[in-house]
Amino acid sequence: METFIQLLVSGLLMGVSYGVLAAGLALIFGVVKIVNFAHAAFAVLAMYFPAFWFLEWWGIDPFISSIIALPIFFVVGYATQRMIIDKVIGTPAAEMSTLIVTMGLSLLIENGILIGWSGAPRIINLPYTLGSFKVGSILLNQAQTYSFIIALVLIAGLFVFLNKTMLGKAIRAVADDPESCAYMGINLRFAYCLAFGVGIAITASGGCLIATYRPFNPFYAETIIVIIFACCILGGVRSVQGALIGGIIIGCIQMLSTMVVAVALQNVAVFLLFVLFLYLKPEGLLGRKGRVV
Amino acid sequence: MIAERRKQGHFIWADYVPLVLVGVAVLLVCFIIGPQRYYQRILLLVVLWMCICSNFNIISGYGGQIVFGYMLFVGAGGYTSVLLFKFLAVNPWIGMFVGAAVAAFLAFVIGYPTLRLHGHYFAVATVAFPLMAIPIVAQLGWEEVHIPFAGRGIESMQFTDVRYYVLMGAILLVVFLIIVRMIERSRFGYALQALKQNEAAAEGMGVHTHRVKLLAFMLSAFLTGITGTVYCFSILFLLTTPAAFGLFIIVRILSITIVGGIGTLWGPVIGSALLVPVGELLAAEVGDRWPGFQDLIYGIVLLMAIIYLPDGIWGKVTEIMRRRKTLPSAKVKAMVAPSNPNSPSKQGKSSSFSLVTSLPTDRGNEPHGSILRVQSVSKLFGGVRALQDVTVEVPRGKILGVIGPNGAGKTTLFNVMNGYLGPEQGKVFFKGKDVTYLKPHDLCQMGIGRTFQIPQIFNNMTILENVMIGAFARERNATRARAISEEIAQKMELTHRAEDQAVGLTILETKRLEFSRALATQPELILVDEPMAGLNPEESHHIGEIIKGIAESGITVIVIEHVVQSLVKFADYMVGLDEGRKVAEGTPEEVISNPHIIEAYLGEKWRRRYAKS
Repeated sequence: METFIQLLVSGLLMGVSYGVLAAGLALIFGVVKIVNFAHAAFAVLAMYFPAFWFLEWWGIDPFISSIIALPIFFVVGYATQRMIIDKVIGTPAAEMSTLIVTMGLSLLIENGILIGWSGAPRIINLPYTLGSFKVGSILLNQAQTYSFIIALVLIAGLFVFLNKTMLGKAIRAVADDPESCAYMGINLRFAYCLAFGVGIAITASGGCLIATYRPFNPFYAETIIVIIFACCILGGVRSVQGALIGGIIIGCIQMLSTMVVAVALQNVAVFLLFVLFLYLKPEGLLGRKGRVV
Repeated sequence: MIAERRKQGHFIWADYVPLVLVGVAVLLVCFIIGPQRYYQRILLLVVLWMCICSNFNIISGYGGQIVFGYMLFVGAGGYTSVLLFKFLAVNPWIGMFVGAAVAAFLAFVIGYPTLRLHGHYFAVATVAFPLMAIPIVAQLGWEEVHIPFAGRGIESMQFTDVRYYVLMGAILLVVFLIIVRMIERSRFGYALQALKQNEAAAEGMGVHTHRVKLLAFMLSAFLTGITGTVYCFSILFLLTTPAAFGLFIIVRILSITIVGGIGTLWGPVIGSALLVPVGELLAAEVGDRWPGFQDLIYGIVLLMAIIYLPDGIWGKVTEIMRRRKTLPSAKVKAMVAPSNPNSPSKQGKSSSFSLVTSLPTDRGNEPHGSILRVQSVSKLFGGVRALQDVTVEVPRGKILGVIGPNGAGKTTLFNVMNGYLGPEQGKVFFKGKDVTYLKPHDLCQMGIGRTFQIPQIFNNMTILENVMIGAFARERNATRARAISEEIAQKMELTHRAEDQAVGLTILETKRLEFSRALATQPELILVDEPMAGLNPEESHHIGEIIKGIAESGITVIVIEHVVQSLVKFADYMVGLDEGRKVAEGTPEEVISNPHIIEAYLGEKWRRRYAKS
C-alpha cells in the first residue's frame, strides 16, 4: 500500500510536468488546428538551452531558466509559425503536410542538438535533484516538488491569459470559428502565430522543469512526444485544463505500471492506452464537442 | 496508337518496359562502378530505399493514409528473419517470407482498428507502435543482435561481393514497380485513389473503404517485410533497435517520396536516386565530426519539399507535360465547336436521356411493388429529433419527391436510406430485405445510387475516371468499366471533356458528372439530393429532364428538393417532412395544398389566409 501511495504521489508530481507540455500542444491543436510533431523537440531543446547551459555557463538555476525560457521560446514559436507552418496552412492537404513539416522540424532540432552539443546523456546536478522532503512515510523529490508548484502556476497563468485578457479571448474565439473571427477584424495569421508562440513558450518552460529531475539526451523527444499526445487525447484534445488532468493520469499510470511490469516497459503501457483511447474515445475523457481551449 | 490501346484497357508492353529498364539501368551503373565496394554500397542503398518507398507509396501515396510508424514493418521483417537465422538456423530466403508475413500480420492488427481513424489521428496512432516495439524488443534481450556470417553465399543470402546484393535489389525493385503499376491500372488502385480524395463519396460509389485500406496496408507491409530482410542482411552487421525502428527511417521515406512525387510510380525512384547518394556522401565526409548530419539534411529537405514542392519532381514534370499537351488541343476544340457545348437549351430533349437501357436493371423481386420501405424510423442527434417515426414507401419505377423546409430531416432521411447513418429505431427494407444497418458500399452494391447535395467529385481524376469509380461497383474489369463509363458520359454529354481533370467544371457539368457516376453503379434506385441547388431556371429544367429520363429507363428516383415548383413538374409522388415528422404524402397537388406544408414553408399567417380563400 505504501509503495502504491508513493508511486501515486510521484506520478502526480511528474504528471503535472507532462500536463504543461500537453497544454501547449492542446492550445496549438485547438487554435491552429495542427498536430505539432516537433512539440517534444522544443521541450528537449529547452532542456539544453536555457536549462542546462545557463547553469553551466552562468550558474543560473534551471527553475529561473524556466521563466527565462518563456520569452525566448515565445519568439521561437512565433517565428516557426510565421516562417514555416504558415506556408503550408490552407493548402488542400494541410492536415498531413503540417504534420510532415513538424516531423521534419523535430528531426532538425534533435540532430541540431546532437551535432552542437553531442549525444551524451546530460543531467542537472544540484542539491535538490536527488534531495527529498519527507511527509509521513512518503518521500517527495525536491526538484519534482518545486516543478510541481511552478507547473501549476504556469497552467494557471495560461488559463488567466486565455480567459481574462483580450488577446487570450481573441485566441479562443479563433479556435472556435476562425472565419467569423476574420470578419470581426481579428488577424488570423497573427492569432495563429500568437497561439503557436504561447504554446511553445509554455512547453519550453515545462521542458526546463523536467530537466531538473530527469537525465535527457537529444532523442528523448521521440519518447515523450507520444506521451504528450496521450495526455492530450485523454484530456480532450483541445482543452488546456484537460491536458493537465491527462498529464496527471498518464504520470500516475507510468509510475504505477512499474508495480507490474519492468521499468523499461512503463511507456508501453502508456502507448497502449493511447492507441486504445484514440480508437474508442478520440474526443477524450473530458472532451465535449464544441468545447474549445 | 499506344494511347488508344491503353484507353481500351489492353495490356500494354510499353507500360512495363520502362520498369524493367530501371532494373537494367541499376545493373549498368553497378557494372560501371566495378569492384569499388564503397560506391556499390551506396548504389545498393539507393535501390533499397527505392524499394521501401515504393512499398510505402501503395498505402500512403495512392491510398493517402500516411503511416508515420512505417519503420515498424522494416524492423519486423528484418528482426524476424535475422532472429530465425541466428537462433533456429532458418534459411534467410524462407525467413524473408516469414518476416514479410509477420509484417503483414502486424499491419492487420494495427490497421484494423486504426484505419477507421481519419487524417492525422491515424498518422499519430501508428507512431506509437514502433515506439512500443523498441522497449519490448530490448526487454526480450535483442536490443543488439549480431548477424552471424555463415559464408555460404547465395544459400544464406550472405555475399562477400556487394554486387550480388545490388542484383537482388534490382530484381526486387522491378517486381515492386510492376506490382505498383498493376495496382495503378486496376479496380483496386482506382478505389484507393478515390478514397484518398473523398472517402464518403467512395463509399457511396460502392467502395468498401475500410477493406481496401486494410488490404493496401497489409500489401505494403508485406513487401516492406521482404525489403527489410534484404536490408538487414546486406547493409547491417549488427541489428539494433534504433537501426530497425528509428524515427529516421520514416523521415527518409517521406523525404524521398515527397521530393520524387508521392502517389506516383516514379516518385520513389527519382527521390531515392537524388537524395540517397548525396546523403551518404555527406555522411562519409562529415559524419565523424557531426553525427546526425545526414538526418539533419533529410529534415531540412523534408521541410523544403513540403513547402516548395508538395507534388514532387515527378508531379511537376507531369504538370508541365499536361499543360503542353492540352494547350493546342484546346485551341482545336474551340475552332471545331465555337458554340458553347454546355448550353442545355440545344440538347434538352428528354428522349436523349433514356439512359442505361443497355444495362441490366431487373434484379430481385420485392413485395407490394415498393422497392424501398422506410418503416417508423427515428434518428436522434444529441437531443434533437432529426427524424421521428417516419414511414415512407417508394413505388418501383416512379419519381418520389421529398420536400420540407431547412432542417426538416430530408438529408438525414437520405443518409438513413443509404447507410451513412443508422437509425435509433425503425427499419429500412430494400427489395424486401432488411438493410437498416448496412454500410453505404453494401447498399451501392445492392443497387442504391446516390448524388450529393454538395457535389463530391474526385478532383485529381479525369471525368471519365470519376465515372469509372462508379462503374467498378459492379464491374471488376477495368476495360469494361471504362466502356460503360464512356457510354454514360456520352449520354450525359460529358464526352468532350472526358479526359480532362475534374476541376473547374461548371455547376451543371458537376451535377451531370454526379449523375453519371451514380448511374455507372447501375442502380435500381437512385437518391438525388437537392439537384437544383445553385442552378438557374433553365438549368433546373435541364436537370428535371435528366431525372425524367432516368425514371423512364426504369430506375426508381427519390429526389430531395427545396424548390418545390420545379419538383412538382416531374414528381409522381411526394412526401412532405417538417421537424423530422412526415406531415404530408400523396400526389404533388395534394402535398403542396396540404396546410402543414404551407405552414412549414410560409408560416402560420399564410395558412390562415389559405384556409379562408
